[in-house]
Amino acid sequence: MSVAETRATAPKQRWWMDSDKLLAAACILIPLIGLTLFFLYPMVIVFLRSLTTPDGTYGLGNYAEVLSSKGFWRATQHSMTMGVATTVVSVFLGFIIAHGLHRCAFRGKWLIRGVIVLPLLAPSLVQALGLIFLLGRNGLISRAIGIELDIYGFWGLLIANTLYALPQAVMIIGASLVLLDARTYEAAEVMGAKPMRQFRDLTLPAIFFALLNSAFVVFIITITDFGNAAVIGGDYSVLATEIYTQVIGLRNFNMGAVVGIMLLLPTVVSYYIERQSMKRQQGRHATNVQKFIPSFYLNRDIPMAAACFVVVAMILSVIGVVIYASFVKLWPYNHDLTFKHFNITLAGGYASLWITIAISLGAAAGGTVLIFIMALGLRKLSGGIAQAVQVLAAMPAAVPGIVLGLAYILTFNSTATPLYLLYGTATLIAVINFYHYHTQAFLTVMTGFRQFPSALEEAAGTLGAGYGRTAVTVVAPFVAPMLIAVFFFLFMRSMVTLSAVVFLTTAKLDVAAVTIMRLDDAGLTSQAAAFSTCVMAVVCVALGVMKLGLKLLSRSPKLNKAG
Amino acid sequence: MYLTVSNVTKRFGTFTALDDVSISIEQGEFVCLLGPSGCGKTTLLRLIAGLTDIDSGTVSLENGVLSDLPARKRGFGIVFQSYSLFPSMTVAENIGYGLKIRNAPQEQITARVAELLEIVKLPHLADKFPGQLSGGQQQRIALARAIAVDPRVLLLDEPLSALDAKVRGSLRDEIKQLQRSLEIPTLMVTHDQEEALALADKIICMNHGVVVQAGTPEDLYHRPATRFVADFMGVSNLVPTAVIRQEMPALLAERPDGPDEQFDACIRPEKIQLAADPSGMATVRSVGFLGNLTRYNLDSALGDLVVETHGSLGITEGQKVALQIAPTDCTWVVNDGTEVSE
Repeated sequence: MSVAETRATAPKQRWWMDSDKLLAAACILIPLIGLTLFFLYPMVIVFLRSLTTPDGTYGLGNYAEVLSSKGFWRATQHSMTMGVATTVVSVFLGFIIAHGLHRCAFRGKWLIRGVIVLPLLAPSLVQALGLIFLLGRNGLISRAIGIELDIYGFWGLLIANTLYALPQAVMIIGASLVLLDARTYEAAEVMGAKPMRQFRDLTLPAIFFALLNSAFVVFIITITDFGNAAVIGGDYSVLATEIYTQVIGLRNFNMGAVVGIMLLLPTVVSYYIERQSMKRQQGRHATNVQKFIPSFYLNRDIPMAAACFVVVAMILSVIGVVIYASFVKLWPYNHDLTFKHFNITLAGGYASLWITIAISLGAAAGGTVLIFIMALGLRKLSGGIAQAVQVLAAMPAAVPGIVLGLAYILTFNSTATPLYLLYGTATLIAVINFYHYHTQAFLTVMTGFRQFPSALEEAAGTLGAGYGRTAVTVVAPFVAPMLIAVFFFLFMRSMVTLSAVVFLTTAKLDVAAVTIMRLDDAGLTSQAAAFSTCVMAVVCVALGVMKLGLKLLSRSPKLNKAG
Repeated sequence: MYLTVSNVTKRFGTFTALDDVSISIEQGEFVCLLGPSGCGKTTLLRLIAGLTDIDSGTVSLENGVLSDLPARKRGFGIVFQSYSLFPSMTVAENIGYGLKIRNAPQEQITARVAELLEIVKLPHLADKFPGQLSGGQQQRIALARAIAVDPRVLLLDEPLSALDAKVRGSLRDEIKQLQRSLEIPTLMVTHDQEEALALADKIICMNHGVVVQAGTPEDLYHRPATRFVADFMGVSNLVPTAVIRQEMPALLAERPDGPDEQFDACIRPEKIQLAADPSGMATVRSVGFLGNLTRYNLDSALGDLVVETHGSLGITEGQKVALQIAPTDCTWVVNDGTEVSE
């Protein structure tokens, strides 16, 4: 056979013959259609609606109107002020707690670790509710000191937002502190550097990007949060509540869309910067880190411990008082305990709790499967399409829940497309919850996939396993911990989220967080507290099941990775 | 020819990993792909396995062209450097995985797994998980898993590199024994020339994406074709033609015709005889004790030389020595510009 003949038979273009590649293509295609239909398309619609003037033509009229309104500028100014203030306080406190946990020696860290995540387990408006029970007109503290505090407004919202954002700050900063290698500190110690000097020369530069990162994350959380602002903001209007007012109060969807786009701008910019700084931080990841075990320094550890426990006490009291209030007969006058507030008849009673659990299970199960097959597809595909999918998958995190919710109502409440059939269904709420938290879920699973050695896949392939079989028998068990984490993440978020779903609930279909808001609006604060307690109980059970599942997995010898 | 790779080229972007490479493996043969990292040997193995697509050229097995088949349909066995046992399956499940995919009945799988565990001498580990095994045990199981399906070709991708020296030695011997008794055509990638010398029937030495020389271990050691092979296959003294003509013209006897720059003399360190001689042409710069061997570094008219002898000659640093080299012990290699390592 001549060289020319041999070359002519070189195979290349027959990829469509290969069932593996077909499967990989399907794995990409299905989630891609989902992202396009349930994320990209609604976002385009909200953008178009913001440009649709009352006479039905496209133009910048709405923007001109919004930009010339005093209310919008006041809300923008409030949002920015609140965002910056919350960021400063949260990053500062987050750093203290993370540093206390990882670089200081004192007892009771388990308590800090446990309490710090509590705000994530409750609907965001629980912080606000708790603050009202403590510092409101009938609050425990207000009554105890006999001064009537005005908690509604800037200060109340600042505290509520800080408590809500703090866990994220602690986690991000903590993750970078864990990566610091003890050996570099030992080297510095041997070279004669004092602790303060080590902190300045080694710790600070190493966690710089984590601090930056956490600042942007907190900023985004704060300016996009709706629950706290709705409950404790009072007259302190922010962009998120402004959208709500435009849409629900004034039925002015197009103006709501304009404000939504305006809220999107700072969020997208912050998100972009955060992703960039995250990449810089990841570049520093070292393998084989020697864990730092702090020893006790009186002057450092006593004040640090005190600061940490003060913050912990604040979180505990804010959330604890909600639970307490739900059992109190007549707040604040009669502190006898009772179950009567749990007998909720208004706003559909507990129906919304059960439906929320069902929605959350659906979002979690469907979402985990979709993300898993998407990651599978991305593993096989490279090049332009794969990159586009990755970018698209990472985008939902930049969209505030309230904007996504608005986009959904504009898209699905329109009879122009068959998508209208979804409007008012629990399915649509499950869908929005999944796409709202798509990015975090996606990134978690991708982290798991990145640790998956390609040799395993290749060994299975060489032994004769097709990609589908490899995915089920080899890949899925390997990334099982990530899948479990994602499942429960989606479940817990769906249980407590308010901003994305607030527009999608109807008279017949309510979800838990909205019910709490309605009860609170109706002045039934004790029942709102009782309902919050139920939601928190469900989420805590879910968290417990997840921890148990992960523990069982990690105990089984299956997960002691080969090596 | 059993397995044939013809005129294969593979590019990654602008980098040419394999440039028109052709190799072949006979039935039952143990072939080593040897070369420094980045020479394309692993890429070649992955092309043969079907794990990487070919740009041009063919891979065929007994005249049937394989290039179109995905890896799972080729019926090969593969062992990687490490991390390739499925962590969520027991040792027995790992070994039986290929048979299970082929829908073999459970009794047959059980019997085959037991047999293979005997062969790799780890029958007591059947129910353990990979995470509970040492590195050497894991590689034995990986080997058992690869041969469980009676592969048409066994591919080994640096299977010993991640192991420590002692385990490496014993597993090396076992791989050799196993391959000899099962007579599976085997292709092993390695960068360790000692490993290749000890295991291979044929060594294919690669550099910069091309095959530099293929032959028996003896061929490659005693009759390297180029400066690169001479240097890669162990310590060698490489001396330019002009220097030999001036200092030891007798060695030119076997030299092929060609300009001076085309060929250099290659003399293995154990082929040089030393004798203490105050009027000798070389001076001992240093003496190294290597146990059974003694290594002398010399300054000589031929340049820097390395000489190894069994036992000690009682020669010390700074002494003058005379050199004796038989013309048959001097091979001539193509000067490809390779700088001598060390």
